[in-house]
Amino acid sequence: MAGWQPLASGGTIEERLRIDDAFLPGGGEGGEPGLDERADRDDLAAYRRARRRARARRLGTGAAGLIALAVVWQIAATILRDPVFLPSVTQTFQTFLHYFDRPYPSQGSPLWYDALTSLRRILIGFGIGVVAGVTLGSAMSASRVVRHLIDPVIEVLRPLPPLAFIPLFIIWFGIGELPKDVLIIIGVTPIMAVTSVAALDEVPEDLRLCARTLGASRLYTLLHVQLRSALPGILTGMRISMAGAWTSIVAAELIAATSGLGYLIQQAGDYLNTALVLSGIICIALIALILDAGLRGLLLLADPSRRG
Amino acid sequence: MDAPAKPVAAPVKTQGADVVIDSVGKTFRRGGRRTMALAGINLEVRAGELVCLLGPSGCGKSTLLRIVAGALDSDEGTVTVGGRSVNGPSPDRGMLFQTPMLFPWLTTRKNILFGPKAQRSAGLSERDDPELNAEADAILGTVGLDKFGDAFPHELSGGMQHRAAFARAIITRPSLLLMDEPFGALDAITRLRMHDFLLSMWDRYRTTIIFVTHDIEEAVLLGDRVAVMGGRPPGIQEVIDIPLDRPRHAVDADTESFLTAKRKIRASLTV
Repeated sequence: MAGWQPLASGGTIEERLRIDDAFLPGGGEGGEPGLDERADRDDLAAYRRARRRARARRLGTGAAGLIALAVVWQIAATILRDPVFLPSVTQTFQTFLHYFDRPYPSQGSPLWYDALTSLRRILIGFGIGVVAGVTLGSAMSASRVVRHLIDPVIEVLRPLPPLAFIPLFIIWFGIGELPKDVLIIIGVTPIMAVTSVAALDEVPEDLRLCARTLGASRLYTLLHVQLRSALPGILTGMRISMAGAWTSIVAAELIAATSGLGYLIQQAGDYLNTALVLSGIICIALIALILDAGLRGLLLLADPSRRG
Repeated sequence: MDAPAKPVAAPVKTQGADVVIDSVGKTFRRGGRRTMALAGINLEVRAGELVCLLGPSGCGKSTLLRIVAGALDSDEGTVTVGGRSVNGPSPDRGMLFQTPMLFPWLTTRKNILFGPKAQRSAGLSERDDPELNAEADAILGTVGLDKFGDAFPHELSGGMQHRAAFARAIITRPSLLLMDEPFGALDAITRLRMHDFLLSMWDRYRTTIIFVTHDIEEAVLLGDRVAVMGGRPPGIQEVIDIPLDRPRHAVDADTESFLTAKRKIRASLTV
């Protein structure tokens, strides 16, 4: 079959069609308005370099904002001269390093261990919640009955602050790891179900038909087109629910835990060790930033139009 | 049609299939309401012919196209393509949409290779990667996108996206192409270029094309025949021959014979 040839041939397409103008900026609708601003559509590599440069500039500006915050903080601390009210950046940094591998309180655990404890809770609860939410969402998208059945349940659960469940979960599941995992799952699952349904619903009917007319089976279309097409939306849902999961776990650790960053912050607060409270907060921010960056990286992989 | 162009080339297939639409009817039921979308459609399209379905919105032309594609089942009548009755979508009947429907996560080359790879995973084809890549390269060149094989859809202009979609449909070697107002969302100038592009590609590949449009000028420029649709319940009002010479070009759209054909269709639409 390799020799399948068009019947008529000869001449390049440009010679035959006079369509070269279509390569120039503005040569056709479609895409974002920014696309037509580039000088030379002919050079894909140059276009991508320009977008990468713009991205680097954006990141630079973002870093400048954080540095400015640190500077304001340092100036305020210097003026106030009250390390219990507001320790300086350098004091906080030293405290962070000091307690990073020393237990606090003395019978407790070091900062790195508390951070890992919180992270473990997040990853377990978040992982289960994402799988449960995407499964629910897929079932809701596939079946009208399932959707009408589950929709009200989610709409009732979704606006509830997960923290309201803490006393209930302590009664039901005790004070071990289980209530904390369940707390995160209860927060993540509805968000993931709602975003998955939305993402799957958004896949155009014609995109699936298109795949089918290209010879894809139903299963191949489901996996390689429908789910693949919904992936960016699902990843965006994961970013949203990850932020919620952090809020839940730290709050739970503040109220009812003997380990984790929330517990550390609570203990440090009780002894007016403000620098350590801030160290814990910064640690939460750093981990959340790294996790979100990871998800953002996946999102960029999944959706090329977001790159640059 | 064994006419090898090159020493190594395998026999060239005749690409077009004939299409017979025989008393097709379709009724949509929503709630208790029944809407007759199509009734008593008869149309024969010869192998290699380009027929336009012309009519206003809601005249059932897209419904008819989807029935031929196998995406919708008809309630009455039969459709046969190349002698075989239509039953579900098939790569033998390629489809192009108003939006290019490229997969946004795939580069142009991978979009084009979607069909062959999906068919290979279903065991319908045994073509290996080097062979497929060579064919993708050839088709990228044919549609003028050889520099854009690694570009993602959002990095292409509207016209380029439509050419990529055409390449993706043609690589599966369809004997029939179904086009559902494919250039309807393009600006007027890009549209003219796409008309020339389509005419040239049709000249090259000789597949049968059924082209849905609501634009009289487009129908006259492209079609061998124009089936005018409308009425209650919707059906084919009249099939008009377009006696214009081939090859045609978008620039010829103001010649006397062109205007005569246009006038004839307009009269048929306003009856």
